[in-house]
Amino acid sequence: MAEIGIVDTRNIIKLIQEKYACDFSDYALTSFKRRLENILLVRNLKHPEILMSKIKEDRNFYDKFLDEIAVPSSEMFRDPSLWRLLRDETIPKLYQETPNFKIWLPGVVSGDELFSLCITLKELNLLDKIHVHVSSLSNFSLESIKKGYLKASKVEVSEENYVRANGKENFTKYYKEVGGNFLRDTSLLDNVTFELQNIEMDNAPSGVRLIIYRNKMVYFNPTLQLKILKVFNSSLQPNGYLIIGVKEFLGNLYNVNDFSLVNPSESIYKKK
Amino acid sequence: MYKAIVIGGSAGSFQVVTRILSSFSPNFNMPVFLSLHRLKHVRSGFLEALTMKSKIPIIEPNDKEQIKPGKAYLAPANYHMYIELGNRIALSTEEPVHHSRPSIDLSFITASNVYREKLIGIILSGANHDGAYGLKKVQENGGLTIVQNPKDCQVTTMTEAAISLAKIDHVFSIDQMADFISKLK
Repeated sequence: MAEIGIVDTRNIIKLIQEKYACDFSDYALTSFKRRLENILLVRNLKHPEILMSKIKEDRNFYDKFLDEIAVPSSEMFRDPSLWRLLRDETIPKLYQETPNFKIWLPGVVSGDELFSLCITLKELNLLDKIHVHVSSLSNFSLESIKKGYLKASKVEVSEENYVRANGKENFTKYYKEVGGNFLRDTSLLDNVTFELQNIEMDNAPSGVRLIIYRNKMVYFNPTLQLKILKVFNSSLQPNGYLIIGVKEFLGNLYNVNDFSLVNPSESIYKKK
Repeated sequence: MYKAIVIGGSAGSFQVVTRILSSFSPNFNMPVFLSLHRLKHVRSGFLEALTMKSKIPIIEPNDKEQIKPGKAYLAPANYHMYIELGNRIALSTEEPVHHSRPSIDLSFITASNVYREKLIGIILSGANHDGAYGLKKVQENGGLTIVQNPKDCQVTTMTEAAISLAKIDHVFSIDQMADFISKLK
């Protein structure tokens, strides 16, 4: 396991800030360091300084770096009970209340949550009726999602989850294997819009009914978490929903007055 | 003199974990971190089962939960559990390590970075190599290293891996482990 020091970590953060005006200083230290170590290991870079000069000199490398520094979702249909609830109750209810609505998935990396959502919408016959908006730090992430790429190690667990979520079809219907790569059915994304975003999410969409942002804030420290929550608050319609990871809890760090917890076991919040 | 305990276990460790949890004295006052391999899709039940005989409260922490003495923190299903500076726990959904999430290594390494020589690391029965590297880190930072005697383990892979990689201060039978635990404050 390659190890990287706190000084190196700070230097990398400073470089990115100066060169690309992107501020990682409010990312949680342990996981950010581990991501850096992982990049060094996977790319076989012997020293953090080599990584720094590549970031500095090559914008494409930097975009790829943004994809790799972010933590991808662990699997599709993670927490099957949530996906059951979304399909059987939450989404049909929202659709009944306001047929025209928008779901926002910020900070996507691997697209696992996006494809899980689109499959859910398809099985509700709502795929062409509900607008899904996706944003990501990295253009590379967005392009791999649009190609449907699914990591081989996630296929089995995703299928198990899908079955536990009482998916209506055979999961294999949604992907195919091409030359050792697993590619998801990209026609599921026909009604999805994609956009680049910065860490502070300055270009957040408005009038959103539901935000799905699970296990993303765990990688931020409280300062950035609070900033992002403010963005979500102004993005959401009144009574809009925010779903975060099952072990993320808004009440842990501050008094959150903008949201109330409506489903503790699935971490579903409602804008007040 | 010690400030925290981190415990790693996998297959065959349930019995000894409950024995440890039932051995704490009334004036025990350190945080305990439990990084135990568990079914990733089963979110409830494990905490309740461990709590039944425990002398101290057990919590499945949320992200950024504040660490308090005299409580045990159980790594939640399908999350890594990190111990962060500033007395908080951080959770992560990063890739599994040794096919495991939670990873024992990651809990041990991060705990060792925070508590240094004031940490006790304990590796119990288990079926893979997770935890050996983490226990080595505990030792390198001056902490106390303890391994369950492989003769007492239902599955010996994990303890044997730890013994061959790290310098171990104590190899304990379950009874010795319970006795040692009962004397901690």
